Amino acid sequence: MDILYLLIPLSVGLVFFILAGLWWAIHRGQFEDIEAEGERILRND
Amino acid sequence: MHIKLCVEPLAYRSVMTEVNVLPSLNSDVSHGEAMDGEQRLKLLDDPQEWAAFSLPEKTQAGCWSSSVVFEGMHCAACAITLEDALRSVPGVDSVQINAASHRGRIVWSPDVTRPSEWMRSVERFGYKAIPANDAYAHERRRQEGRRMVWRLAVAALCMMQVMMYATPVYVTEPGDITPEMVHLLRWASWVLSLPVVFFSCTPFLRSAWRDLRHQQVSMDLPVALGMMVTFVVSSIGTFEPAGPFGAEVYFDSLTMFVFFLLMGRWLELRMRDRTAGALEAVLNRLPDSVRKRMPGGQWALISIRRLAVGDVIEVLPGEALAGDGLVLAGQTQVDEALLTGESIPLARQAGDRVIAGSHNLSGAIEVQIEQVGTATRYAQIVALMESASLSKPSMALLVDRWAKPFLIAVLLASLASAIYWWPTDPAHALMVAVAVLIVTCPCALSLATPAAMLASAGALARSGVLVRRLEALQNLASIDTVIFDKTGTLTRDAFEVASIHTRAAVSQSQALWWASSLARHSLHPVSRALWSEARRRAEAEGRLSVLESEQAQAVLEKAGQGVSGRLNVSGRALNLRLGSAAYCQAPVYEGAHLQVSLADDAGWIATFELVEEIRPEAPQVVAALKHLGLQLKVLSGDAQSAVAQVASLVGIDDVRGGCGPQDKLQAVQAWQAQGHKVAMVGDGLNDGPVLAGADVSFALGQAVPLAQSKADFVLMGGQLQVLVQTLVRSRQTLRIVKQNLLWAAVYNAACIPLALLGYLPAWAAGLGMALSSLLVVLNALRLSQGLT
Repeated sequence: MDILYLLIPLSVGLVFFILAGLWWAIHRGQFEDIEAEGERILRND
Repeated sequence: MHIKLCVEPLAYRSVMTEVNVLPSLNSDVSHGEAMDGEQRLKLLDDPQEWAAFSLPEKTQAGCWSSSVVFEGMHCAACAITLEDALRSVPGVDSVQINAASHRGRIVWSPDVTRPSEWMRSVERFGYKAIPANDAYAHERRRQEGRRMVWRLAVAALCMMQVMMYATPVYVTEPGDITPEMVHLLRWASWVLSLPVVFFSCTPFLRSAWRDLRHQQVSMDLPVALGMMVTFVVSSIGTFEPAGPFGAEVYFDSLTMFVFFLLMGRWLELRMRDRTAGALEAVLNRLPDSVRKRMPGGQWALISIRRLAVGDVIEVLPGEALAGDGLVLAGQTQVDEALLTGESIPLARQAGDRVIAGSHNLSGAIEVQIEQVGTATRYAQIVALMESASLSKPSMALLVDRWAKPFLIAVLLASLASAIYWWPTDPAHALMVAVAVLIVTCPCALSLATPAAMLASAGALARSGVLVRRLEALQNLASIDTVIFDKTGTLTRDAFEVASIHTRAAVSQSQALWWASSLARHSLHPVSRALWSEARRRAEAEGRLSVLESEQAQAVLEKAGQGVSGRLNVSGRALNLRLGSAAYCQAPVYEGAHLQVSLADDAGWIATFELVEEIRPEAPQVVAALKHLGLQLKVLSGDAQSAVAQVASLVGIDDVRGGCGPQDKLQAVQAWQAQGHKVAMVGDGLNDGPVLAGADVSFALGQAVPLAQSKADFVLMGGQLQVLVQTLVRSRQTLRIVKQNLLWAAVYNAACIPLALLGYLPAWAAGLGMALSSLLVVLNALRLSQGLT
């Protein structure tokens, strides 16, 4: 189980990475209009 | 008892003040709106005007970013059409439209285009763009919402991961897991708790720090204290396991606890946004404009912002007065119902004074402005309302009185347990102390009230009741008196045709038809009543289009007397007169109702009797409220006899007429001094001060924005039944809050002795805390069912 000594710190890093992604999404307003995102694929552009 | 809710952001308060000061001048009822609309749109080309709803664009120099609200959007495809239409205007750089909120942000360059141009571009497709004057408040709220979501996301993700690291320790037997691995897991938990404590918790920590500095107490203080102690103890447990503080860590309880609290705050914020946003939306309209006489003698349209004392303005029928002033020329009737509560038109001519906010009904007048803005009578009533709302009884005082002893008791108990256990086992002692702090940490207590309030507020919002102050839900459950305004609350804000007397050979419908051909050109409330009654009958007979195409010629309105015109009836021309008995040379009937006569050259044709229309649901609502054990009263600005008559039809005995805004407020304060808890239901500007001074206040959806902004509840649907349902729901809410608080108290009472005696390990305390919070929330969710 020595691999855990690598995996657990790695998971901490992964969480920070995910948090960065969430920050990017939230601050670009992706969580504000949930319906429109689904309809975006129907647009022409 | 409940927690002190957050102080509202200052921007919100300042926006609502702006709503209070400026009424909407350009009434929707005025004629010639098409032409006027075009000119009013041009007003937006004034840089000072567009600054009200735009900001300089940061990413592109020289460009402005304007926020607008779109009318006529009914689907997401509309957003595509709008975007294309706007982008095709030269000078528009980018367009962002939010289909859900009907708002758009347009970045444009003043060198190439003007707001009126791109706003007009969408009108071609049938939409309308209105400046979003609440954009600043809206944007601020959006940013606040984003920050809260971000904090919640951080807490959520870290909570889940920390729980993952904590699980091995829970499920393994001692000895299965190596100490190094345990240390590693704790270290990882510590790292992930850092963002939670130092970022997600900042609202609590800041609030607690502020309280400490001002020596006040709010529920944030024990929460913050518990969080910090837990974090410090857990950190020490991670890095100095052999130290005196023991080797236990509580990162999982900590993060979970923070997450639940933040969830409650976030939901509360969303609710507040929705209700505040809807009310701020009344700010969204084209800039109010007036016609001012320029030095050269011609008339020009200027924005209300530029109006000054001494200006001479022209006020057409249907418009509202922009300021207090003196009538220089013309004669007319004005409707001062906004301020006096009476919808009877009052005559005004050269030499008379008129007040801001009143509506001009019949003739064009020239007014010299004497007061603008805050010096007007309208603004003085607003000031009266502000002072009344400041003296409102505050429940926060009760909380503070109770919370301080509780906190001190908790700290003492925790300290006592530590001291007791220290000689035997220092590590154990600290664990016990922390367990006591955690177990007494009032997270279930803090969630008890807001969770229930929010669930109720959500259910109410879905039924068309805007809850502007959550505290009011609690106050509502304890009221024993309900006061109604008459005009617009118990009655609809218009007259109703009660009976029609006609001469022989003329049917009632015929008379009404002829009368309405004149009435449709007049804005007088009586005319509006006749016109709507004629339309109703025509619609029932299927002849609406015929009625609408019936045009009278040479319609002239004589202020204070009536309307005259010529109507072609089967080849003959009838010179009709509609108005007072004297004007029509008609006989006067016995009776207390308002009478309007119709005559032609040959003589009297018909007389219409008009009454105020009582809301059909009013008697049932009154009966239901009485059934709930409430005392009912009516306070109105109209004459005592008129009010008494309406009240008796509805079922209320205690009636007081002839009340001005101050009289209403004093009456309510007198009852409050007697120990009654008073709720007020009103809609007019004269109800403003009393709406602010009552314990709980309701404003109807069509109320003036001022009254809406001071009321605790806004009944959007304009129906009174929902009043009863709100009352019932508030009592249910209080019951559930009491259940929640009882549960929180029982849980604490049971667990504190266990913790003090050392039987409660901190993890169990944390788990118990989380589970009790969950129970409280689930119990509160029972309130989110729809209103019966």
